[in-house]
Amino acid sequence: MKKSIIVILMILMLSLFFGWTDPLDSFGNVGHKVPEKTSEKTQGEKSAFHPSYYLKRAKTYVNNDELQLALFFLKIAAVLSPDDMEIVGKISDLKLTIDNKSKKYFKKGKKFYNQNKIKAARKQFLIALRYNPDHKDALTYLKNKLIPKEYVNYTFEKNDSLKLISDKFYKDPELVFLIVYFNNLKSDTKPKPGEILRIPILESDFNQSIDDRRQDMISAKNLLGKNRFQEVIVITQKILANDPSNKDAIKLKDDAFYQIGIQLRSQEKYFEAIDTFKKITPEYDGVNGAIQLTVQHVLLKGENLLKEKKYEESIDLAEKILSDDPSNAAAKKLISISFCQHGKDLLIQKKYDDALKVLDKADPADGCVEKIRLGVKNAIKQQAEAHYIQGVKYFLNEELQNAIKEWEKTLKLNPEHDKAKKNIQNARSLLEKLKKVK
Amino acid sequence: MPETASIRKTIFMGIFPLMLLLLAGCAINGWIFHNSHKALISDDFIIVKTTDQDTFSSLAAYYLKDPDKGWLIAEFNRMTTLIPGEELIIPLSPFNKGGLNAKGYQTVPVLVYHNFSKKKSDKTAVGQDDFEAQMKYLKQNGFHVVSIDHLLDFIDYKGQLPEKSIVITFDDAWRSIFDVALPILIKYNFPATFFIYTDFIGGGKAMTWKQIETLSKIGFDIQCQTRTHRNLAVPKKNESFKEYFKSIEMEIGYPKKLLKKRLNIDCKYLAYPYGETNNLVISLLKKYGYRAAFTIDRKSNPFFIDKYRIHRSVIYGSYDMDKFKNNLTVFQKNELK
Repeated sequence: MKKSIIVILMILMLSLFFGWTDPLDSFGNVGHKVPEKTSEKTQGEKSAFHPSYYLKRAKTYVNNDELQLALFFLKIAAVLSPDDMEIVGKISDLKLTIDNKSKKYFKKGKKFYNQNKIKAARKQFLIALRYNPDHKDALTYLKNKLIPKEYVNYTFEKNDSLKLISDKFYKDPELVFLIVYFNNLKSDTKPKPGEILRIPILESDFNQSIDDRRQDMISAKNLLGKNRFQEVIVITQKILANDPSNKDAIKLKDDAFYQIGIQLRSQEKYFEAIDTFKKITPEYDGVNGAIQLTVQHVLLKGENLLKEKKYEESIDLAEKILSDDPSNAAAKKLISISFCQHGKDLLIQKKYDDALKVLDKADPADGCVEKIRLGVKNAIKQQAEAHYIQGVKYFLNEELQNAIKEWEKTLKLNPEHDKAKKNIQNARSLLEKLKKVK
Repeated sequence: MPETASIRKTIFMGIFPLMLLLLAGCAINGWIFHNSHKALISDDFIIVKTTDQDTFSSLAAYYLKDPDKGWLIAEFNRMTTLIPGEELIIPLSPFNKGGLNAKGYQTVPVLVYHNFSKKKSDKTAVGQDDFEAQMKYLKQNGFHVVSIDHLLDFIDYKGQLPEKSIVITFDDAWRSIFDVALPILIKYNFPATFFIYTDFIGGGKAMTWKQIETLSKIGFDIQCQTRTHRNLAVPKKNESFKEYFKSIEMEIGYPKKLLKKRLNIDCKYLAYPYGETNNLVISLLKKYGYRAAFTIDRKSNPFFIDKYRIHRSVIYGSYDMDKFKNNLTVFQKNELK
């Protein structure tokens, strides 16, 4: 009895090991196994259980720049085909790409953040997070650092008292009760040096009454009529600090920024104008048109610089536009034409090395750039050939030293020129023989 | 008997743990059968070949243990209807928490209603027919009405929401909400949050505590909108700073205690009266353990919104359907590459 039960249990164990109890034998698959050929034939590439289907989908997602989804599908393929080292490699490559991209955009975001360009910083952090949803630092910036805090942390110092701190922050020692309240202190206890206190930030002029606000609004409107826009901004910002949703104040502030933007544009301070327009609420009538028009002015200036052959300056302007609007086709075109034209000029001046250096900075996929690059290469080849023929002429005139110099010039331009190499060798050997004869 | 006991001991002490270990090993990356279809189970996903018995909801109920998560399967597979025989991937965790893609990011509108009328809409109240038409529009156009808890999980970057998510809220606890809006919400099976200011309850045109309790019992969310509906951001005329502070502390603390005492409800969210707030109010909300608070700024909400300044769009009685639709932005274009 005992023996037979143990035997049965052993059989059961072995059957678990080798898949005897798996109900999926009808599909020809057990555990990690890839579906057999028969199932592949019937389901082909559409089969959800075939790795090639998922590899194909992963590739599509890579092409669409949806790298997280691509990674997801590669992982499915890896589960279906665990021994396929190529898939493992692809996963590792894609993870590296994702990591690099998210790091790159996070770095850009931090740069904008340090320049206090909050909107631009937010965009870069969002891109970083899109590539890597687990990018903790990007998330911290988006969720904490880019959101204004309602308090400041203050480290209590040796000679501090709560009243002094209250006076320092609120210009009123009587508001000490706020510090006591928000830090769970007793009014008669003194924090220890080094202790961090949380001090709520009170909006400036907190006690500003509604009547005062009305008076300020009237002043701001009058100042707007007198084109004293900076003063309008100071007053409206004061109102908005207490009453952030005050629509009249928002409108007045936007009016002032709009007028300043127009002034800056007329002074050809285009990028300052764009930055000013961006301070206006997006719903403000005409603000998008004003930004577009300013960008047009920048592009026009860039085209004029191009005509004056000031290529680096025109590229610089276009790149500034692209840093704000990466999809601006006109700016991309301006960069492309500038590189192309610059390369062409240097080609005409026979400054081939310089031409190639300029063209190397351009987008390699640009047709024009490639055409000029080919032109430069042909010109180099032709010049190498001219030196070669000149060398032959010297050789025939028995001017062996001059012939060698010409062929050396050929090799400098075209190191693969076999005939020049051979001829130099022959000429040198002849020179040696001649020396011996003499 | 001793022989049987010995066999039992052999099984439990020796072979049984081994079998458990084997089964545990098979739980990852294995094949299973469900509803006569084949499924591949992994740590991160399940792949199933669907049958005519399946729906997104039934698959979500079986594999994700939540029938309401059918949208997660539909959206991952970029499908709107399920075709039997189709091979689907069921992601086992959120696959896009912030709703980000190369073209922009998800935003969630939060609507706020106040008073209602059984007759036509007027300036102060939304008419019954208009509210019905608005809810019908949401249902027929694939909007998912979600709870504030789910919205906050999205904002906290913990959970994913359906692409077309929206939140419905009601302010002040007008009795007309109970009489007019509630039957329509129930008809469409939409969740909603009711922000109440406690001094109003039991007044002439307000709901009674009994009605609030009923709302809570049938699954609606009851939250706070202060005690007296004073503007929290602005001191009253001749009010000293200290008096102002005491007053707003009471406005924030009192309704929380009252709701807990009367209805055993944890008040986690606050709607600012008149939509207005300031740093001091936010500091107090945090001190009192509020998770988030709502303004009435007419914008939709991305996940990176300030939790204590969540936007809401007021729907007025004067709104026609086009104006209503203008408040349903679920995606903000912004090239993210």
